[in-house]
Amino acid sequence: MKDIQREDLHLISRHSSISEQGVERAIKEKVYNDPENWKKFLRLLLMTLGIGFTTAGIIFFFAYNWADLHKFAKLALTEVLIVTTTVIALLPKLKNSTRNIILTGAAFLTGVLFAVFGQIYQTGANAYDFFLAWTLFISLWVLVSNFAPLWLLYLILINTTFVLYSQQVAKEWPEIFVTALLFVFNSMVLIASVVLSKYQKIKDVPTWFTYVLGLAIAIFGTGAVVIGIVDTYQPLFPVLMTIVTALFVLGIWYGLKIKDGFYLAVIPLSFIIIISALLFKISGDFGMFLLVSIFIVISVTLVIMNLINLQKKWKNEN
Amino acid sequence: MRTKEEIKEITDYLQTKEKREIQFNEEAILEDYQKNDNHQSLAIKILSVFGGVLASLAFIGFLMLAGLYDSDFGLLFFGTISIVFGIGISKIHDKIIIDTLSVSSYMIGFILLGIGLSKIQVHDNTICFIFMLIALISLGISRAYILTFISVLMINGTILVLLISNKFFGFVQWYTCCLAVVLAVLYIKESRIITFHKTGSILYNPIRIGLVFSFLSGLVIVSKADWIKISFEDIWITSAFCIISVIYLLSHLFEVLKIRKTNHKTVIYLLSVLLLLPTVLSPAISGAILLILLSFLVNYKTTLVIGIVAFIYFISQYYYDLHFTLLTKSILLFSSGILFLGLYLLTHKKLKSDEKI
Repeated sequence: MKDIQREDLHLISRHSSISEQGVERAIKEKVYNDPENWKKFLRLLLMTLGIGFTTAGIIFFFAYNWADLHKFAKLALTEVLIVTTTVIALLPKLKNSTRNIILTGAAFLTGVLFAVFGQIYQTGANAYDFFLAWTLFISLWVLVSNFAPLWLLYLILINTTFVLYSQQVAKEWPEIFVTALLFVFNSMVLIASVVLSKYQKIKDVPTWFTYVLGLAIAIFGTGAVVIGIVDTYQPLFPVLMTIVTALFVLGIWYGLKIKDGFYLAVIPLSFIIIISALLFKISGDFGMFLLVSIFIVISVTLVIMNLINLQKKWKNEN
Repeated sequence: MRTKEEIKEITDYLQTKEKREIQFNEEAILEDYQKNDNHQSLAIKILSVFGGVLASLAFIGFLMLAGLYDSDFGLLFFGTISIVFGIGISKIHDKIIIDTLSVSSYMIGFILLGIGLSKIQVHDNTICFIFMLIALISLGISRAYILTFISVLMINGTILVLLISNKFFGFVQWYTCCLAVVLAVLYIKESRIITFHKTGSILYNPIRIGLVFSFLSGLVIVSKADWIKISFEDIWITSAFCIISVIYLLSHLFEVLKIRKTNHKTVIYLLSVLLLLPTVLSPAISGAILLILLSFLVNYKTTLVIGIVAFIYFISQYYYDLHFTLLTKSILLFSSGILFLGLYLLTHKKLKSDEKI
């Protein structure tokens, strides 16, 4: 019996005469982390904290007498820092996880470098080209390391660059268009990562990564549709609605296929919010508020019921 | 949901952990597995809370537009009915699908009651006590996960509001210290609590996660006191409690990792204290570390993630707020970084040599 979980022990202890010591032994053996896990955890924790604090300390030190430094010194210092970390990451003795953490540190330092550059030449800290440059110059590391946290940073940078570009350069782009593009782009990334890992072109994508991405996609999709509903005239709206519906249906299909409740919880919730927005669009009087409130309770309950049934079904199939 | 065979396997396994014969009420166990659905994923829990909040907002909108706001009696009446309904329905059908309905009803009740009571000029303190009493009663009656969780948060919230609005600022710290100790006991004595009484094992999980959020809220208030325009005098008290708890946890850890040599232990204790000392002015950091260690000790992932996020937030806030020059900050950061790396190298050797055995 391998997968005894905390819940099992809780439930069974309610209906048995098992003693505290018995539960204690079982829970320590089956649920709690064993020494091996502790070692891994401590190693990772201490190393991350050590590297993080030391780098932060160095950065703060230069920030301290920053104003007095010559601009050449400023740029050189940051570049030396980047080069050193990257060289350390290349040391052959390192474990892959260590290498990736160091490379992630270097990716952040690249951002620092462009910030320094922006500070010297007054390009402004939130200019889109700052984020664009940062994104471009870490691309290679992202691809080489294929490390999920680094990929997440990369995606955040791309999204930020795009949002800033739409605000600073393409001012005429309507809000709905920007949100819809973000929705489509992130969906494509998620789909690509799922497909690629399925055909074993890349190593398995961690679940937390797909969840974070999935959540962002749901928020962008729901946001875009709700903006479309609230604004009076949007020629893009029918197109958007089709794409969102198609991708959401795809998401539900995928959730059913891989038996993952996450997609079957998030996507229906998006639909519920969209329908509520539609209802409010029709009328804003007190009757509608009552209707929406009842609608949410019933629909969320139905979604949960459906999820529970599915989980039972999946469990029986296994 | 487990099959009969799986349950048999689990009970057989548990029997091996005990010298004497254990009595299992197999029917009750099977029934509980079927009825309780207590294997719910986090997604479902979040969905019911989120759905509950959205539905409550819409319903409050309805009541306000419908003119309920003008009637004091109406507010109080509907508020009470709503709370009773929320608790009652979760008691009658203790299934998770009722959660959204019962949670929204429960929350709507508190909002209406709160508005109603303050409209008839009831003192804030009295409102807090009434809320706390209701939440306590609900804790006593309801066995539902989310309702229990919300009640714990409600009790914590009223205590904090009472302490702050009456200017008992010092007590906020002591309260947070108490929460730290209670949490540590709750995590470490899990098997004791769940075998002590049936209710213990039902309410254990929601109370634990509720207390985690309460503890974090206490930490935020203590370390971000300037938000609410107060200042704490002996801020180190909370830190001291958290640090002592962390050190106490380390002694647990030594057992798990089989570190027995006294000089190893002493060095690790010293380094840990040295690391935590600079954070004495920000109890939130040692509090978050305590939470991370506790969660990892009992392998409880939800609060582990919460702890890590809280830690990153508190630590950035700490260096942002610190009224030191950048140079001092840099030295502080750098030296703690080196200490961490030192601790890493020290334990790395130790852990490796263990592996070889």
